[in-house]
Amino acid sequence: MIPKRFDYYAPASLDDAIRLLGEDEEAKVLAGGQSLLPMMKLRLAAPTALVDITKMAGLSYVRDDGDNLAIGALTTHDAVEHDRTIKERFAAINDAVVRIGDQQVRNRGTIGGSACHADPAADLPTALLASDAQFVIQGKEGQRVVPARDFFVDVFATAVAHDEILTEIRLAYPPPRSASAYVKHSLRESDFAMAMVGAAVTLGDGNACRDVRIGLGSAGPTPLRATSAEQYLMGKVPEDDAIMKAAEMAAEGADPPSDVHGSREYRLEMIKVLTRRSLKLALSRVK
Amino acid sequence: MTLTTTNSKPREDTPEGRLEDRRLLTGKGRFVDDLKLEGQAYMGMVRSPYAHAKINSIDFSKARSSPDFIASLTGEDLLKEGVSPLSQNPWPFQKRAKRYHLAVGKVRFAGEPVAAILVKSKNSVEDLIELVEVDYESLPVVTTIEESKQGKAIIYEEWGDNASLTNEVKKGDAEKAIASAAYVIHAREGIARQAAAPIEPHAVLASYDSKEDAYDVWATVQSVHGTRDKLASELKKPKEKFHVRVMDMGGGFGSKGAQSYPEAPLACIFARRTGLPVKWTATRSEEFLEAAAGRDEYCDITLACDKSGRIVALKARVECDSGVTGSQAHMPTMTIETMPGPYRIPNQDITVAAYVTNKMPLGPVRGAGGPEGCYFIERAVDLLAKKIGLDPIEFRRRNVSRQDGPAEGEVDFELLLDTLVKSSHYEELIQWRSDMYSRFMQQGPSHSSLIGGLGVSITGSDESDEEEEEEDWSGGSSGGEGGAGAGSKPWQSGGGSGGTAGEKWTAHPPGETGSAWQSGGSEGSGSWQNSGESSERREWPGAGEETLGFMSESARITLDKNGKVTVYTGSSPHGQGEETTFAQLASEELGVPLDWVTVVWGDTTLIPKGVGTYGSRSAATGGSAVVDASRKLKAQLLTRASQTLGVDAKSLEIRGGCLVNASRPDAVLATLNAVLEKQHADEVSASSVFTLGGMSYSSGVHLCALTLDAELGKVKIAKYVVVEDCGRMINKTIVEGQLHGGVLHAVGGALFERLAYDEEGNLLSSTFMDYNIPTALDSPDVEVFHETTPSTVTLNGAKGVGESGTNGSYGAVINALNDALSQVGTGIEFSMAPATPDAIFRALNASGAKPQPSA
Amino acid sequence: MKVNGKQVSGNVEPRTLLVNFIRDGLNLTGTHVGCDTGHCGACTVMVDGKTVKSCMVLAVQAQGAEILTVEGLAEGDKLHPIQEAFWRNHGLQCGFCTPGLLMSGLYLLQKNPDPSDEEIRRGIEGNLCRCTGYVNVVKSVRAAAKSMREGEVGGA
Repeated sequence: MIPKRFDYYAPASLDDAIRLLGEDEEAKVLAGGQSLLPMMKLRLAAPTALVDITKMAGLSYVRDDGDNLAIGALTTHDAVEHDRTIKERFAAINDAVVRIGDQQVRNRGTIGGSACHADPAADLPTALLASDAQFVIQGKEGQRVVPARDFFVDVFATAVAHDEILTEIRLAYPPPRSASAYVKHSLRESDFAMAMVGAAVTLGDGNACRDVRIGLGSAGPTPLRATSAEQYLMGKVPEDDAIMKAAEMAAEGADPPSDVHGSREYRLEMIKVLTRRSLKLALSRVK
Repeated sequence: MTLTTTNSKPREDTPEGRLEDRRLLTGKGRFVDDLKLEGQAYMGMVRSPYAHAKINSIDFSKARSSPDFIASLTGEDLLKEGVSPLSQNPWPFQKRAKRYHLAVGKVRFAGEPVAAILVKSKNSVEDLIELVEVDYESLPVVTTIEESKQGKAIIYEEWGDNASLTNEVKKGDAEKAIASAAYVIHAREGIARQAAAPIEPHAVLASYDSKEDAYDVWATVQSVHGTRDKLASELKKPKEKFHVRVMDMGGGFGSKGAQSYPEAPLACIFARRTGLPVKWTATRSEEFLEAAAGRDEYCDITLACDKSGRIVALKARVECDSGVTGSQAHMPTMTIETMPGPYRIPNQDITVAAYVTNKMPLGPVRGAGGPEGCYFIERAVDLLAKKIGLDPIEFRRRNVSRQDGPAEGEVDFELLLDTLVKSSHYEELIQWRSDMYSRFMQQGPSHSSLIGGLGVSITGSDESDEEEEEEDWSGGSSGGEGGAGAGSKPWQSGGGSGGTAGEKWTAHPPGETGSAWQSGGSEGSGSWQNSGESSERREWPGAGEETLGFMSESARITLDKNGKVTVYTGSSPHGQGEETTFAQLASEELGVPLDWVTVVWGDTTLIPKGVGTYGSRSAATGGSAVVDASRKLKAQLLTRASQTLGVDAKSLEIRGGCLVNASRPDAVLATLNAVLEKQHADEVSASSVFTLGGMSYSSGVHLCALTLDAELGKVKIAKYVVVEDCGRMINKTIVEGQLHGGVLHAVGGALFERLAYDEEGNLLSSTFMDYNIPTALDSPDVEVFHETTPSTVTLNGAKGVGESGTNGSYGAVINALNDALSQVGTGIEFSMAPATPDAIFRALNASGAKPQPSA
Repeated sequence: MKVNGKQVSGNVEPRTLLVNFIRDGLNLTGTHVGCDTGHCGACTVMVDGKTVKSCMVLAVQAQGAEILTVEGLAEGDKLHPIQEAFWRNHGLQCGFCTPGLLMSGLYLLQKNPDPSDEEIRRGIEGNLCRCTGYVNVVKSVRAAAKSMREGEVGGA
């Protein structure tokens, strides 16, 4: 219930934060704390120092950045939920964020925090992978941008180095005739998913798929792209038969766990069901 | 004996809100963890990570080196001090399980405490717990009934095996009747281990007065008197040395009732040794690890009926995983007594066997064996109805119909079913179900189509059958409190669990009671009639004094000359509203305004005798005691008034706190205050210890309409209707609230909840993330309708209602699920709760049925 | 920080949770602790106008913030409309989860003055109750919504 002792810093600038992280190998970034603090309270995590970055200005925003929508890493889930542009153009993100925890958690948890925590059972990482997000990371040497495919490295591990901080998530505006969706299946509404799938499609000539992305969550140590299914659908008109086939293929390469909430076998089957449903939902949204 | 009740009309004059609410709404409640004493120290429990292991050594040296360390205790320390084992209240057919507050020799479940420490600061408690080094040697772990039966390890060596309880109910010749029956079904049913999970964790604040050698204990308990008796028994001190109190409590649901927990006695010991007040509050993980859990029963059932659909025989074999077994672990017995329900079943062969395993203790959890029994029969009834081809409501109707109508005071189940059909708009629901099926067949699951399912259940008992039952009961006398329901009769409210009704159930014979709470045969805390050993009778003051049994409750009522009426009750409300309902009863009986009345509970000094609140007993027993005491006080007041006014007491009445002419009530003759002043009486009072002459039964019929997403195995309840009969309602709103909560508690149990252990006996469900109780989004709107058959054994016509909602829900929900599943494919029978999506998926797979998406 | 309009301060370890600072440091025991992992919501308060679970916020993180707890809802003897609505509609039984529920209910109504039942249920999803089955809680929030719109408290 009470975490182990730690030092607490609330730096005013990114540079200070990066420096503090560099000085202590066991230090961790504290943002909303909605994932980190429960782990610390159960003593499953025991950082020696917390670097609270929420006191820094300028990291919470949703703005148009030319070809991309740029979301500051400290933007809360609640703010993401109520952003019109995200709902209209990146529906998968909106679908995912409304399913995160509850109102109190969404008031405090941040998109950056969720991404960096990289819990394979969390909603946003899967949706971000399906949306092909780009992650802007600030370090001692400056800034670098990492695509979603390379961002999620392992359970609770991302491409962000110990002394770096994620500052922004970029979502490239999809071309016309695109839409996305994210569906989740959990025991209770607010629980972590037993299975979750994010899908993004772009239709081209003759209504054939010009682009397809299918992201699976709770399917391994990191969110996965269902590449066989994606490749199958490319160039095809996504009618029921094709969707069914793609759904069957989606579970290939998936490695979901068995735990108190659901067995592996069940989860693999659910991946197929949800792939079908998220594709259909995304397609229904294509204008 | 038939007691007359005031009347059976529903009360119109209920207050607009509860009296207890203001402080709870403004954050001024006094829950145990809210209390502070100057200089208090904090207790921490060192708990075993192993489910079954020998304790080789315990080393406090690292912990001691911290400046925050104050003191420590181990099981060996307790033995040296001469503390008795954790109090037990086994049924005669149940073995006594000896465990100490801190494990001695070996641990028997993961989370069992092996040591306790006292720490200066709250923040450091867990730091110092981690510094205590315990050397364990693991033993083989028993986590299933099978393993327990096979003796993979023996949990209590002195038993020789792991069987903790066996019991049976036999009547007629079930085997013969089944062999010649027209229709027979078999099923294997079960409910997993589930938690009470009140939102407030257990807590205690204890302090010691060295001058008086007395303890002051605030604790989260459903019975301060029971707790006082346990403390006295375990710490071997007179009862008067313990002042036990509770004010507000955040739910109990049984887990804060019967079970003896180590922490309050340990806190007392620390308080005495150090002179410091000692505070302990469980973390939620500790709550899951240690609090007495419920359910974990499995039943192989055979039910048979004749050509016309009348049930002729019930045969059932129930097995229960008792964990390390609790202080009150008789619920499996309640299950078999409860099972026949309201049906008149002439041939019964029901047995139960409970086994110990390396899991947390089993104790009464809302319904305490009643929900299990009701579930087991109601599933079987549905299967049998299906076999014979009758609508589930019609089948039940045939089996609850009484040729000469219901007996006096007996609930009319046919009426309840009729009311259910009307109030739930049953015909419309049939249509809804049919429409959903058509849509599903048309669109198929590729459109995420849902199927509708309807399920019903009845909770109640065959009250007319009592005489016959008597000879067949093989259980002997029962003891103790806890739980509810029972009898071959579910829902014995008002007496807590007590097994079957009426005089044949005797609690300990008067004079021999000492406490129902005895901590051990030869450790001798009073005679224990069933121990079979000659036990020393401990002579401490107060021992042998009559302690109230579960059919009784106390009340004392005072009126002072300022018009303040105080009701002191042995009941112990923690959400059930007695602060309001008992004030209503007193105000009604005395004829004084409601705002004159204050209800006081939860204090063993202010209220020397009491039983507490559990087992749906308070309105019935506590309420009757309040009515009785009020009537006595009123008689006193009328006598005094007749003296003062010089008129016959019979010509007087009390209205609005004034004495009036009985035949002309608008003519005020005098105020009560004036009468008392004239008589120089500062205060008048009257007391009652009321004992029910028999059990009272709450009954109900439940209907659940749900939707099933067959692909995901996901269930959502669309509509839930209960028609209940709890006798004369004191406060309709409060009754409905109890039904809402009771139903949802079982909905959680039917769909989501399971205390899961792995093969090593590690508890996997120790947070609210892994043990899923329903949120507002998961819960249906529950509609409650009422019929009223006043109780003939209580003074206020009320029966208890706290657990009735829970009893009927498992059956209604799982029956509805099966109704939905039957539309997806044939041969799927699902009778294991919780019906999680994964489990439903596996059942569908096993049967070969798979929702086929359309082309 | 400001708590219920009053300026307060304290010296705490970084690991002191906001809920413990409120309960132990400030003696405001209306906010309760029901679990370890931020699931039950009994500790819900408002920080800078937003509901948060105070067991999942470090006290030091609330430096400079404005906090509202259940003790700050009533004005003297006058109950806040949402408290009044819970009273009239039997929205509480044991009362342990109630302070947190009042906060979540209030926040919902501040953002959405006329919510549907489904929206109410979603708004209080983060507050667990074992007593009421939520039926009368939803009724109470509905009644509070009406009274806050119309200025009169009654049944829903």
